[in-house]
Amino acid sequence: MNENTPPSEPPSGQGMDYSEIADVHEVHAAVQREKREPRVGREPLSIWLIAVYGLAVFFGGAYLGRFSGNFSGEALDPYGGEMPTMKKVTGPQGAQPEAELSPRDRGKKVFAANCQTCHQANGLGVAGQYPPLAGSEFTTGGSRRPAMIVLKGLTGPVKVKGQQFGSAVMQPWDKTLTDQKIADVLTYERSEWGNNASPVAAEQIAALRKELADHPNSFTEPEILAAPDEDLAGGASAGGAPPKPGEAAKPGEPPKPHG
Amino acid sequence: MNATGIPLKEPAISAAAGDTEQFERALIDASTRVPVLIFYTSAVAWLILGTLLAGFVSFKLHTPDLLSDISFLTWGRVRPVHMNVMVYGWASMAGMGTAIWLMARLCRTVLRYPLLLVAGAGFWNLGVFLGVCGILLGDSTGYQWLEFPSYAAVILFVAYTLVASWAVLMFRFRRGEQIYITQWYLLGAFLWFPWVYAAGQLMLFVVPVQGVLQAAVGWWYANNLLFLWFGAIGLGTAYYMIPKVIGRPVYSYHLATIGFWSYALFSSWTGMQRLVDGPFPAWMVTASIAATILTLIPVATVGLNHHMTMQGYFPLMRYSPTLRFTVFGAMSYTVFSLVGVLISLRSVARYVNFTQASIAYSHLGLYAFFTMVIFGSMYYIVPRLIGREWRYGSLIKLHFWASAYGIGLMTLMLLAGGLTQGTGMENPSLAFSESVESVLPYLRGRSLSGILLTVSHFIFAYHFGLMLFGLGRKSTVPTFLNPVEAEGAEVAH
Amino acid sequence: MKGLAPLFLGIFGTFAFSWVGLTVIPNWQIGHLNPQSDEEGTDIYPMPQSGMVTRGARIYAANGCNYCHSQQVRAEYSGADIERKWGDRRSAPRDYIFERPALLGKMRMGQDLANIGARAPKEEESPSPTGGASPAPQAAAASSGAVASAKAGSPPPSTAASPSPATSPAAAAAPSPGAIASKPPTSPGPPSSPPSKSPATTAAGGTSPAAAPSPPSAGPPWPEQTAGLPPMYSAAWHHVHLYSPRSINLDSNMPSYRFLYRARRISAGRSSDALRLTGSDVPPEGWEIVPTFDARCLVAYMMALNQSHPLKDVRSAGAPAAALPAASPSPGGQPAK
Repeated sequence: MNENTPPSEPPSGQGMDYSEIADVHEVHAAVQREKREPRVGREPLSIWLIAVYGLAVFFGGAYLGRFSGNFSGEALDPYGGEMPTMKKVTGPQGAQPEAELSPRDRGKKVFAANCQTCHQANGLGVAGQYPPLAGSEFTTGGSRRPAMIVLKGLTGPVKVKGQQFGSAVMQPWDKTLTDQKIADVLTYERSEWGNNASPVAAEQIAALRKELADHPNSFTEPEILAAPDEDLAGGASAGGAPPKPGEAAKPGEPPKPHG
Repeated sequence: MNATGIPLKEPAISAAAGDTEQFERALIDASTRVPVLIFYTSAVAWLILGTLLAGFVSFKLHTPDLLSDISFLTWGRVRPVHMNVMVYGWASMAGMGTAIWLMARLCRTVLRYPLLLVAGAGFWNLGVFLGVCGILLGDSTGYQWLEFPSYAAVILFVAYTLVASWAVLMFRFRRGEQIYITQWYLLGAFLWFPWVYAAGQLMLFVVPVQGVLQAAVGWWYANNLLFLWFGAIGLGTAYYMIPKVIGRPVYSYHLATIGFWSYALFSSWTGMQRLVDGPFPAWMVTASIAATILTLIPVATVGLNHHMTMQGYFPLMRYSPTLRFTVFGAMSYTVFSLVGVLISLRSVARYVNFTQASIAYSHLGLYAFFTMVIFGSMYYIVPRLIGREWRYGSLIKLHFWASAYGIGLMTLMLLAGGLTQGTGMENPSLAFSESVESVLPYLRGRSLSGILLTVSHFIFAYHFGLMLFGLGRKSTVPTFLNPVEAEGAEVAH
Repeated sequence: MKGLAPLFLGIFGTFAFSWVGLTVIPNWQIGHLNPQSDEEGTDIYPMPQSGMVTRGARIYAANGCNYCHSQQVRAEYSGADIERKWGDRRSAPRDYIFERPALLGKMRMGQDLANIGARAPKEEESPSPTGGASPAPQAAAASSGAVASAKAGSPPPSTAASPSPATSPAAAAAPSPGAIASKPPTSPGPPSSPPSKSPATTAAGGTSPAAAPSPPSAGPPWPEQTAGLPPMYSAAWHHVHLYSPRSINLDSNMPSYRFLYRARRISAGRSSDALRLTGSDVPPEGWEIVPTFDARCLVAYMMALNQSHPLKDVRSAGAPAAALPAASPSPGGQPAK
């Protein structure tokens, strides 16, 4: 309320602060021109607002009901996934799809997780860097040579399908992949991308692993070529060997200590 | 009141009554001068420190080698220092300063026991200072907003007890039957804070809860601090400043009641949505998400109440600094809540969880909403405390625009960056490092917005300093953002 | 509003509601979990932390690692954490019962660390996950024999500190780590290891790779070796990474933590825990960079972050039989929801 400014105010508002003006020492200009302390009106609630309340309550409640997990302290999954206690009962069934996969399908997964980065999903590798697996004489020949390479790795120059590769190093997988997985991935590699070679069984890999246990380093091409181009021994039962029933079918069983 | 026409004149009050009221106000203002100015000055000092730290943190995030060899300047220590300086140094102290002034005004009594407040401010500063040193020296506890080591936390709590007991005492001396809306919020804030703080400290450090519950208590604390401490002070201040400056009653008492109680009820239940998909019972997270959705009730109510109060008076924002800052803050409260609902829904949270989007949310709440409201209140209160008008309208204008554009840009950058980062993280065929790299351009943009905010804060601190020491242009007419035209402008500031 | 009583009551009531609902009731529900074990009472998980790990957690928090790294694996229905191999199952409350502070994290400017210890080369894996094991940095250059050809450029002396199979705690505590080293040139005498180091190794149980079957492992998506550097995610690797993140990953956005390391003049031969640095980080001739006790605690803490042990509360992604060597916790292998 500028109008309320008392007449004692100097004509010019500039040049000094009102705290310096003797006449208005008690009451500041800012206080004088202030409007009244706020009051509260009494307008009624609008119907639209009540509708908004209804919507919020509805959606909030629906959300709570939908994702509450029955307010259990154990239900971590809000989408009504099986309760963990139920899972123990239904575990074997739940694990079934895993157990029923063919060695080739299991091998595909192992390949996707470990090998695909270098050898590519189409098995063609990267020209000049990573050798192809599709149509490779190593992959499609006897199972001994590819198994050796996967177990212990390969370093140094190598010639595949007439092309020279030399820069990349293949790491040994014997520490990270189990016999079953190596067998599966070999089975996959040897039957995919037009390859058509015999499947490999876990027992064969286990035998080879023992055989190579003393071999310290990665193989080189001459060492691989020195090995006979033959299938691993015991191949008669190869291929279809599913994982032992105990491996996948006992979910509730507490894991054994290891390592 | 006639809701359609803009009243050009205040309803006539008798000259005698008006004089008494003015005299009373002047007395009250004078009594609050020392404590409130102590709080404000400390807050502005912390604001400048926090701003400098913010810039440092922001640049380090995309230039990791910047001064990283010095242990107390490593990113992981400077960042919590920045957050805590802003939360406890700037926002809490400025908020308390405003709250104290409002309490005295609304209780219509001169400020009693000022020594309680002076001691409180002193201890508070000491606590923040010790906490900052503690974090820099490697004593941080690692819980969001509770990083201060226990020796600092205890001092903060003592300081707080002094201030809160003052607030309760003041209530006993209040005059008048009615308790105005602002007082509900302020009383709530003063009573909620010690509970939140004590519960957080006790359940995390004294008798720590087990495992993941520590994280739950930590986020429950952080969110309640944001809503029940800062949010309550911010809303209470807006409920005072808007009707005060435009000289019109708050639109509806009923809306105010519903808004307050639904705010207290629902916003206190939020917090767990930050832990979405984590190792927690689903219901905890869902309850907080549902509560976040339900906070739309107070948002709509309070927003409508402010809007209807302001209706027809929006042009006044052209002149009044207080009104402009406060209305900006009140609008940001709506944006803040809507963003909060959006990013907490499970289907969205799976993308923005673990990204910069949650930083955007905190900044919206603490800066765009709370800090802007507090700036507005400081533009109103400081002239009344020291009997000087703000020196330059142009500085206030610059301050406003740098702040508004700065926080707007920051929020946009962080939200967009968070979304980019989240979608990259969600896609397992992309390397994880790509999701990090994709957000770096946005972080550079954020640093740019930080420069704007730094400019704005330095302008404000400079202006505040001029006021404090009585330097610069002197004037007895109020400082407006734009020259008031002769006719029609009815700005009381 | 008239009268203070309703206002006070309402303010207290609303907040008490929230306090009880979000902290007290959850504490009643999941606040007193015990470690799980099998029927015989063995195979306990999780195990209490060793002193070094606890100290490491505090250093982790004090330096704000949790502002960029989360420690929680989300379930399959949300996020790609499991597909990224950050874990083979979601995290559950029971995983954290000994964590204090529990640093779940809210930001991923760096990758998730819930299972960073499980990614260490097998020789370093602790006997039981989070089981108080703090693999000594001496056992850093793991499997050096097998990968020797892959690291032609590594500085020769440090590779010698190969893990001694079946290191007994007592032997590890003795400050002569190079005792069973395969290459004799490094034999750091007792004086070269600071006294604070001895507690470092006391808790480290030895693993004997010959006796135990190789632990379950999906092939990790990260390389096991990096040229010229220690095996990825080994303790030695963590030290190099903390000291100079961009020497390992050019695009890394992590600040370096050089203040956790100190340069020391080489007195009697290079010590086994000296960092194997490359490029411009190599210290001047006659000097070596060694971790402080804090750095060793921090790395011990990271090596103990391991949620790979199956938990009854949640389903493991691979198969319930994940504990058996043949089961493959590959991402696609989880049963349909």
